[in-house]
Amino acid sequence: MWSYTVKRILQGIITVWFIATATFLAMHNVPGDPLSSDRATNETIRANLEARYGLDKPLLEQYFVYMGNMMRGDFGISFTQQNREVNDIIREHFPVSATLGVLAVMFAALGGILMGALTALYRNRLPDYIIMFLVIMGISVPSFVFAALGQLSLVNLNAMMGFSVLPVAGWGTVSHMLLPALVLGLGTMAYLTRLMRSSMLEVISSDYVRTARAKGVPAARIFTRHQLRNAVMPVITVLGPAIASITTGGFVVELVFAVPGLGRYFVQAVQQLDYTVIMGTTVFYGAFLVFMVILVDLVYGWIDPRVRLK
Amino acid sequence: MTALLEVSNLHVEFDTYGGIVKALRGVDFSVESGQTLAIVGESGSGKSVAMQSVTGLIPMPPGRITAGSAKLRGKEFLGQRKLDGKTICGDEIGMIFQDAMSSLNPTMCIGDQIAETLEVHRGYSHAKAFSRAIELLDMVRIPEAARRARQFPFEFSGGMLQRVMIATAIACKPSLLIADEPTTALDVTIQAQILDLLQSLQKETGMAIVLITHDLSVVARMADRVAVMYAGQIVESGSVEDIFYRSAHPYTLGLKLAMPSHSGGEDHRLRPIPGSPPDMFSPPAGCAYCERCDRAMRVCQSDNPPIFTLDEGHFSRCWQQHPQHTGASEGLYKKATAHIDEVQA
Ligand SMILES: Nc1ncnc2c1ncn2[C@@H]1O[C@H](COP(=O)(O)OP(=O)(O)OP(=O)(O)O)[C@@H](O)[C@H]1O
Ligand code: SF4
Ligand SMILES: [Mg+2]
Repeated sequence: MWSYTVKRILQGIITVWFIATATFLAMHNVPGDPLSSDRATNETIRANLEARYGLDKPLLEQYFVYMGNMMRGDFGISFTQQNREVNDIIREHFPVSATLGVLAVMFAALGGILMGALTALYRNRLPDYIIMFLVIMGISVPSFVFAALGQLSLVNLNAMMGFSVLPVAGWGTVSHMLLPALVLGLGTMAYLTRLMRSSMLEVISSDYVRTARAKGVPAARIFTRHQLRNAVMPVITVLGPAIASITTGGFVVELVFAVPGLGRYFVQAVQQLDYTVIMGTTVFYGAFLVFMVILVDLVYGWIDPRVRLK
Repeated sequence: MTALLEVSNLHVEFDTYGGIVKALRGVDFSVESGQTLAIVGESGSGKSVAMQSVTGLIPMPPGRITAGSAKLRGKEFLGQRKLDGKTICGDEIGMIFQDAMSSLNPTMCIGDQIAETLEVHRGYSHAKAFSRAIELLDMVRIPEAARRARQFPFEFSGGMLQRVMIATAIACKPSLLIADEPTTALDVTIQAQILDLLQSLQKETGMAIVLITHDLSVVARMADRVAVMYAGQIVESGSVEDIFYRSAHPYTLGLKLAMPSHSGGEDHRLRPIPGSPPDMFSPPAGCAYCERCDRAMRVCQSDNPPIFTLDEGHFSRCWQQHPQHTGASEGLYKKATAHIDEVQA
């Protein structure tokens, strides 16, 4: 398990390095740059800025400067926002995105596991049909449609009740978080439900569940001790990619619900070709995702003795 | 004296997409304490279904018990979870299966899996149940039991896992152990060890064993009584001597000829039974073995033979045993006075 952990972390570092390099190269091949915008800068400022960022230097040297800064955790200063360090932007807005994301992942995982187990236990009966219909909707309808529909029904609900049951947009309290988190987690929840259902069906008809029944273990205990734990394994293995898809999905949902998360800044930065912000947030997101995937793998290894004891 | 387990007239069906499978069509057998009953027969003849429907383990639906009775010490328990406050499964009856690796929970340590039975039926604390589990591992001769108890199934060999299954099954000292092909997946030496273990445990505890197997050499070694199953019915049953030396049913004879023999001389070649068992969606009106039987008569086509009693405890379901059938029945044990126990249309 230890050598496995070390190996995974090394792999992660290489992945992040690769992301950083690819972002760097991509940015340098995009036509135009933030310094040549309309709000033009005069020659001296431009030269100063170029010198500040090392933009007048050869590509390889720029690369080393960029990597060196990044290694020290310095992503530089925004090109378009006055006097803001990329680090500040991340520090200020990432917690918002992370809160939303964590809530969404929790919704998706708990909902998916419970509904998946339920559909398997009620296989080919009414609860199964209803949930599986919803699952197909959840997988095929994009999240911005759910976002708009969610807002619309909230508006109607609030109007009907005569007071604000839940706010339609914005950020600040837990009540602001519920709807966006649900919308953000919906697609993943549907996907996990389907996965959990098939894995649970396999477990239900497995020989070791038959053994548990032959031992006279009551149904409730079979469910918690034998079925759930084994059926959840495949769900855990896809939680890493699920977190990734929820994180990127957050860009859209944050925009629709006016949530001041990092995703919004990322989209803005891309529109304005804000080099440092794009590179900073991309590398940061990349590193975050790699970290989450490794974490999920390690948690899986800890839960599954077949991996843990290798 | 009432038998420990007495099953009679058991009928079981399964709903499938192709129709209703009539898996059991009137099965009777009984087991005495301390004895071993072997159930033999081809794949699909209903051996597992017979034992699993008695203990309530067949999936229902699609499975369905349409008739029959099962009594433990004279008391009906079919379809019940408990009898006299004792749970049937795990407490009164222990069970082990063919593939021990897939029959154990891959994410639960061995000790916990054995201990679970004691926690559930005896209300032991986890610590107490776990230390008892270690003793049980010792009893089924697993070395370093205390260390092994904390390991997981993937760290054990097939033979070791079957020992674990046995330890789990006998944890609550059941009066009956059902072993469904316990050694089929193991190589010959390990098979012998497991059978030895079962025999010595039986001697110690006095439990009865129902042993399901394909292997007549296992039967010869283990069984007191034998039931031969074919197409959802028991076609012959009797003591192990009855079955081997006084075979009364052509199918039993066929099974014996298909068995490799160590002592058979030049002329003894394996003779597999030609053909295959009947379609269980619509079993034939007559004898189910008719199509493959080289002694079939006209009556065999139209009427299912009743159960004929040959001697005390020796039964056969074949028209050859009818007292009025006087034709040559070469190689078959026959009693001119065989009387009919039950007449079926
Ligand atoms: N869950 C089920 N659904 C439908 N049919 C079933 C089911 N379980 C068993 N059967 C049918 O019941 C019949 C008897 O099966 P059973 O498993 O008892 O055979 P067996 O004698 O134990 O064979 P084997 O030696 O291969 O274990 C078979 O025809 C099988 O198709
Ligand atoms: S009843 Fe007839 S067909 Fe059936 S086994 Fe006996 S002789 Fe053969
Ligand atoms: Mg079987």
